[in-house]
Amino acid sequence: MYYEKLNRLFSPNAIAVIGASDSFDKLGYHVMKSLVKGNCRQPIYPVNPNAQTIWGIKAYPSIMDISDPVDLAVIVVPARRVPEALKECGKKGINGVVIITAGYKEIEGEEGKILEDEIKSIAEAFEIPIIGPNTFGFVNITDGVNASFTYEFSLIKNGGVTLISQSGGFCHLCGFLAMEERMGMAKLMSLGNRVNVDFPEAVKYFLEEDEATKVIALYIEGIENPRALFETIKSAKKKKPVIAYKAGRSEKGDAASRFHTGTLAGNYRIWKGALRQAGILEVNSSEELIDTAKVLDICPFMKESRVAVLSSQAGPGMIASDTIESLGLKLSTFSDKTQENINHLLPPFAIRTNPVDMGPAWYSPETILNILKVVAEDENTDGIIFIAIFASANLNLLADMEKIIKDMEPFNKPVIACFNAPHGVWDDNIKHIDGKKGIAIIHTPERAARAMANLYKISLSVS
Amino acid sequence: MEDLLLGIEALEFLKKEGFPILESRITISEETAASYAKDIGFPVTLKVSSKTIIHKTELNGVKPFLLNEKEVRSAFNELVHTFNTLGRTKDINGIIVQEMGKGLEFIVGVYVDSQFGHTIMFGQGGIYVEAIKDVSFRPIPIARKDAKEMIQELDAWKIITSPRQKRINPVMIEDFLLKISDFVETHKNVEEMDINPVFVSEKISICDARIKIGPKNK
Repeated sequence: MYYEKLNRLFSPNAIAVIGASDSFDKLGYHVMKSLVKGNCRQPIYPVNPNAQTIWGIKAYPSIMDISDPVDLAVIVVPARRVPEALKECGKKGINGVVIITAGYKEIEGEEGKILEDEIKSIAEAFEIPIIGPNTFGFVNITDGVNASFTYEFSLIKNGGVTLISQSGGFCHLCGFLAMEERMGMAKLMSLGNRVNVDFPEAVKYFLEEDEATKVIALYIEGIENPRALFETIKSAKKKKPVIAYKAGRSEKGDAASRFHTGTLAGNYRIWKGALRQAGILEVNSSEELIDTAKVLDICPFMKESRVAVLSSQAGPGMIASDTIESLGLKLSTFSDKTQENINHLLPPFAIRTNPVDMGPAWYSPETILNILKVVAEDENTDGIIFIAIFASANLNLLADMEKIIKDMEPFNKPVIACFNAPHGVWDDNIKHIDGKKGIAIIHTPERAARAMANLYKISLSVS
Repeated sequence: MEDLLLGIEALEFLKKEGFPILESRITISEETAASYAKDIGFPVTLKVSSKTIIHKTELNGVKPFLLNEKEVRSAFNELVHTFNTLGRTKDINGIIVQEMGKGLEFIVGVYVDSQFGHTIMFGQGGIYVEAIKDVSFRPIPIARKDAKEMIQELDAWKIITSPRQKRINPVMIEDFLLKISDFVETHKNVEEMDINPVFVSEKISICDARIKIGPKNK
């Protein structure tokens, strides 16, 4: 019942915006913009007693005046008017609500807390799941529903990563990084004050119910009952990779304790251990979160930790290899057959063992891709880092590779590629190749190596 | 009612629960101390046993590496003199004569966190625990995989696996951590515990411990 309602909340058939506005300085304007400009295909019902139309769409004085059924209501009216609006949603039979309005538990003073308790009890009476209050909303990239106040999230590529965040700001940061790095997302949301949809409920829904979600990324600052989240993941009917970025890393222990253990029991130390115990991979930066999630979404799992580095320029290949080894992965030793095949493809004036310097084949996209193909078939290799850096002389390299890759079979091992060029040169080809045939393009050799190491760790715990 | 177990009481409590303890006997007489030391076998350690003093080393309450009867007698008298001078004789319930521990010193701790509840800690032990901070935590209960990872997360893992250090079998430490986790599962009233140091060589033995016990029905 509850999860069916969450399903209607995240994939609604019709949406009402309570507090919709035509005035740029109101959040109700921006929520409408997100839905309209984000090409929401479902009916949109602006609710505002003082307007005939909003964003050119017929407006209603109250949600009760809409005759057709509505699944989702996005509430953006001032905090004191939210309880009344929520009650009307309950009477109307709304399946789920997003409360963007802030000014509750997070502010100083009693009033916010009292209002939030009121919201909680109304939601309980009508059995309405709520995202928020105090959130920017959520974005369902899969179905094109942008129920947030930032229209630009609609430009994120469609894919399998779902970000569940405790901060709206972090969603904005990661959403924009996702665009820059071409990471495909299914959903992103900030849970806000988590009045009744907290991490366990959201994670369970996206693990078990949402087919589009392949990878779950969490941003956590602090939650009251972390064990409930871990139990949810442990007992979920489906396993998907879960990664987490934990902020608030104070090492301060229990100042009142006279024991060594209490003095050292900093909250972050315990979190670190608890995440690992729960099989959640901890990441340590926004970039690492994006890179890891993207690779997990695109690439198959690794059987073992043996990595091949194929680089069109020796230097970047060397730093990829250094990072691979520093993170506990191994450089693979090719089988005799693989080595022989490479030796046929490359002349003897470059290093042909791993890491392979493909420099002599710099001008030949066929050769470079043939090397990639024979190494992908190597029985001693579990993952490949594939590097090509631009120079004027190889201007057409990526365009030619794109044509060949289009007709290639998908790789059954992870291929993490680094293609770096000035803006405007290889952009389109990079966009077209990224995510195809199991190839994930990551910004730098070091980041590619780290993403590979994380893929390996997850492969051990999930596959 | 909150209870703090220190010194011989903590050791005897853990011994009763089936944990390996360095052989320890308590006495208030120099004569008996000398005869206990002979029974246990040299070298021995003498240390004060107290219901109130948590950090004995800071008060010079520990005398290790006593090689013969003469050294035991003189250490006994020194301890009595030290605590007489400090005016803290009333805090002492006797002097413990203890078998000398061998091997690497670790700490195994238990702490009740406000969010996670009971947690277990493993780390480099001794008197510099808080300076080194080489520790790892897990919520209780732990599985063998957790115990293994807790040990591998320490900087001390390099020492445990060093070719020069052949005596330590990490599985023995895993077993010990799992036993502590089980123990806490059945003794939820244990609110905080430092087992420090616990000596690890070809065997594992608890040298010292402090335990905070909360109300029974908690």
